[in-house]
Amino acid sequence: MEIGLLGIGAGLAIGLAALATGYAQARIGSAGIGALAEKPELTGRVILLLALPETLVILGFAVAAMIILLLGG
Amino acid sequence: MLVPMTKVHVIGHRRRLESTLEALHRSAVVHLIDVTDDASVTLPPMSADDDQLRTIEDLRYLKARLGGLLSLCRTPLAEPVGLVDIDLDRVRAQLDETAPRIEELARRTRELEAELETLPRHVRSLERLVPLLPELTELEGYDTDAVILDARHAGALGELNAALDDMLSGNFEIISGQVDTDTVGAVLVTPKTAKPAIQSLLGRQQVNRVRLPHQFEAVPFREAITMMERRLVELPIEITGLREQIDDEIRRRPEWTALSRQLGDRLEQLTALRHLGATPHTFVVSGWVPTPRLVELGRLMEEEGRGEVIVEVAPLGEQEHPPVLMSNRSLARPFEPLVSLLSSPQYGSLDPTTLMMIFLPLFFGMMLGDIVYGLILLAAALYVRRRTRASSPRVAEVSKVFVLAAVWTVIWGVIFGELLGDLGHRLLGLEPIWINREEALQPLLVFAVAVGAAHITLGLVLGVWMAGREHDRRRLGTAVGTLLALVGLMAIVGVVVDRLPSGFMTPAIAVVVVGTVLLIAMEGPIGLLTGPLELMGLVGNVLSYLRIAAIGIASVYLARVANELGALGPIWLGVIIAGLFHSLNLVLGVFSPTIQALRLHYVEFFGKFYQGDGTPFQPFGSLERKE
Repeated sequence: MEIGLLGIGAGLAIGLAALATGYAQARIGSAGIGALAEKPELTGRVILLLALPETLVILGFAVAAMIILLLGG
Repeated sequence: MLVPMTKVHVIGHRRRLESTLEALHRSAVVHLIDVTDDASVTLPPMSADDDQLRTIEDLRYLKARLGGLLSLCRTPLAEPVGLVDIDLDRVRAQLDETAPRIEELARRTRELEAELETLPRHVRSLERLVPLLPELTELEGYDTDAVILDARHAGALGELNAALDDMLSGNFEIISGQVDTDTVGAVLVTPKTAKPAIQSLLGRQQVNRVRLPHQFEAVPFREAITMMERRLVELPIEITGLREQIDDEIRRRPEWTALSRQLGDRLEQLTALRHLGATPHTFVVSGWVPTPRLVELGRLMEEEGRGEVIVEVAPLGEQEHPPVLMSNRSLARPFEPLVSLLSSPQYGSLDPTTLMMIFLPLFFGMMLGDIVYGLILLAAALYVRRRTRASSPRVAEVSKVFVLAAVWTVIWGVIFGELLGDLGHRLLGLEPIWINREEALQPLLVFAVAVGAAHITLGLVLGVWMAGREHDRRRLGTAVGTLLALVGLMAIVGVVVDRLPSGFMTPAIAVVVVGTVLLIAMEGPIGLLTGPLELMGLVGNVLSYLRIAAIGIASVYLARVANELGALGPIWLGVIIAGLFHSLNLVLGVFSPTIQALRLHYVEFFGKFYQGDGTPFQPFGSLERKE
């Protein structure tokens, strides 16, 4: 039972973070493509901005890993 | 490294202006500065006279027209060679004579292409309506119109019927029926005398009249279908013939490519005049030249100017922004565009290309880490490089990045003991040299964080070095503070996980405190807020390298899924399924690590020392050659 709950917790940690990242990337991506249509030289910056929210899912991954490794024994 | 630049003034007699500009344009060695932006030039900017303005307009027009014609040629054009006469009147006369013929051929081709695209739609519409057609369509004195409408709006047919009845008092026929699940078709047989009124009525009703191209309008529907199908066979042959004629016309004039380039050259030279300074008798060109090519420029001007043009090294003002030209060894050169993708480095700052060459493929390999994937990628990159070396040197250069990445992928594949995921272990008993990514999650995470800490520490050390070199106390303080905080934090983590003696705890906390205080002090009162935030950001930066482990694990498990699925059915099916999954994993495994490794550089690493927003070196004469 406890292991199951830990698994759900870990899943939520990474899943919710992934949703948040996806939401942020969708907004940034659509704005970024709009900007690129006008100024193709901004490609690097758009990639950079697009990649920024990925930290959220990486932190979610870190929390999920901690739940499994530290609490799951 | 960044090539040092020297600011120069090319000064000469006005009668040498044209030949000087031509020579500068040909050598493509000077990045022009507008004299109005150069405080050391006191001459007024040169203004083009009426003749020159007219020539500029002519050149633009002729170049656009010639470019338009050349773009019609579908086979590769000959490389421009040699010089051709560019007497503008003669060029104009030649184009006026030849262009209409080629343009007419192109217009005809476009028409046929449009016909080829629309005819199948008409055939489909008619084929659906033909089953409804009565034989009386051939009746003398009667017209046939076809309409189709959405099945949901079939009621409109009743309205049409009533309207026609009012108009023609029953002297008409409507045959309707379902042509497919969503569409209803109807054929109207009406007296020819009422044609204008019928057209007007159909325009007002909620129905789509089937309009056929004019050559089929008077033909009965069944016959029209046969004719259209015949036409669909003929059209591609006619189009190919026309295209061949266009290509022949253009290829018969190989001098056009050279002419187009020369028109562009002349245009660029004339439009550059407004950047120059001039008096009635002299001119001055202000610009930046790569220092190693200064002698070459001097020699060129001496030859071309015949003693009437000199090159003078200009004094540097307070706020100079020299352009940036990166020059790295051949192994690092392919990474230059990746650095510039973010923004060119500032002149005088550090060129991170070599560092990117070391770390980007390394991180890529850590993420993908599979012997077979690496070998496939290596073969693909070498193949692309060989195929594109002549035709597209840029693509060939970028493929070198993937050659390095593939080599690291194989190396890390050996370290992780991965060959198509766990297939190497299953079939060949392959064992990891160091970490088994599938099982040893904790060591893998620690390794990723350690890589991050080391990479960011290197970035901070470079930041300290650059701030020190530029005597920028604020940036130096911030970089040193961040570095101390990071070292302290790493030491604390080391003590917590029993890798360092507990006696290190107090000094580690002290180092973190000193670093944070330094961060706060450098920012002033607002530092109380930004200092701790900076510290949190730093922790986030280090943890961000966990993506190296995360992407790696995802790749391992996808490979394992491929192997498990492959083992389920008969061997031939298993090979196909596993092959498909491995291909998918390889595509994801190339795309994702590339983006993630780039991001780790742009955000986490460059953020610590990189000074971007430099102006790329764009010598006068290079624009036309780029096209």
